[in-house]
Amino acid sequence: MENSQARKFQKDLNGGLVTLVLLAVLAASDEDLYGYEIAKRLQKANEGDALFKEGTVYPVLRSLSAAGLLTSRIVPSYSGPPRRYYRITEEGRATLEQYRSVWRQTRDFVDRFIEAGITP
Amino acid sequence: MTPAAPRSIDAYLKQLRAALADQDPALIQDAAYDAEEYLRAEIASHPDKSEADVLELIASTYGAPEEVATAYRETEAKVNAAMQTPVRPAGEAPGTLQRFFSVYSDPRAYTSLFFMLLALATGVVYFTIAVAGISISLSLALLIVGIPFFLAFIGIVRVISLGEGRLIEAMTADSRTWTTLAYFILMLPLGIIYFVIAVVGLALGLGFLVAIPVAVLQGFDVIDSSIEPAWIATAPALVVVGALGLIVLTTLMHGARGIGRMHAQLAKRFLVTQD
Repeated sequence: MENSQARKFQKDLNGGLVTLVLLAVLAASDEDLYGYEIAKRLQKANEGDALFKEGTVYPVLRSLSAAGLLTSRIVPSYSGPPRRYYRITEEGRATLEQYRSVWRQTRDFVDRFIEAGITP
Repeated sequence: MTPAAPRSIDAYLKQLRAALADQDPALIQDAAYDAEEYLRAEIASHPDKSEADVLELIASTYGAPEEVATAYRETEAKVNAAMQTPVRPAGEAPGTLQRFFSVYSDPRAYTSLFFMLLALATGVVYFTIAVAGISISLSLALLIVGIPFFLAFIGIVRVISLGEGRLIEAMTADSRTWTTLAYFILMLPLGIIYFVIAVVGLALGLGFLVAIPVAVLQGFDVIDSSIEPAWIATAPALVVVGALGLIVLTTLMHGARGIGRMHAQLAKRFLVTQD
């Protein structure tokens, strides 16, 4: 992203989207994941012109956990500080379902205007 | 003024802590742990590169310290706003009596009371871990097995310290500091004191309160027990005893809330590094 206007727009969009993506990643996972694993799963899809920095994922995990959408447990690690593993709760899954339909609705709504300008 | 891009984990964490300096120590600790976990894992997954080389790319993957600090600041503000207790409507100044009994609607009083009851058990466990860990570590220090044992001991201490910090809302701890061990040892006497206060208060308060229904049921011959001395079973005495029970119980709740607050301060001092 070259100019700061585009960067600011991306940042405004990310606020809610990171939450949606994190819930989706954890809902799709069979096992508990810790921060670095989650960041790496996102990175694969996020390569090239990164949409967001991986460091911004951690505070969102923290607030989702505080809101009861995720649970976490702490596991010691010899190579550094203890790791916090996250798992989605039933409330989190229900919230993800709601977010999903909001996202689809938003995407269709926006597309109706954006695509209209491109395809005559 | 932008500091030079960090070339080591320590430099990165230092800049991150500095960028969050005005925040709650627990938030700073969380942010530093998150960043350290990521940076160490990133370096481990690039064995061909040096720490400085990996750190050079960090601003475009994990984000620069100031960028990450901003992300924590923003989510923290949101969480705090969501968790704020509603403000009491103006013009409804509560009376002294009402304020005295309002403690029953304060969830912190219950959690503190629960914590006090639990404190004896956790105190014994922490004390045992600390004393056993230190003495076995010291005696094994002569042998090669002493090293892995010591590392495992420190690992356990760090996990408990993090969990304990959460439990009492004094939040996270950096157990690399030796004060955590001091806290573990201190928890035994404190745990005993908290437990005794809670149990004595509960037994006394509830015992006094229970005297009323027992006397009534006894009057109707529903239960066959006797309250000694007999004059307590008279109506005026029962009113006094019941009121006493209510006062003892409410005072206990106030005391629990106070102890909870005090202990949170204490734990914060012992468990959270002040950089």
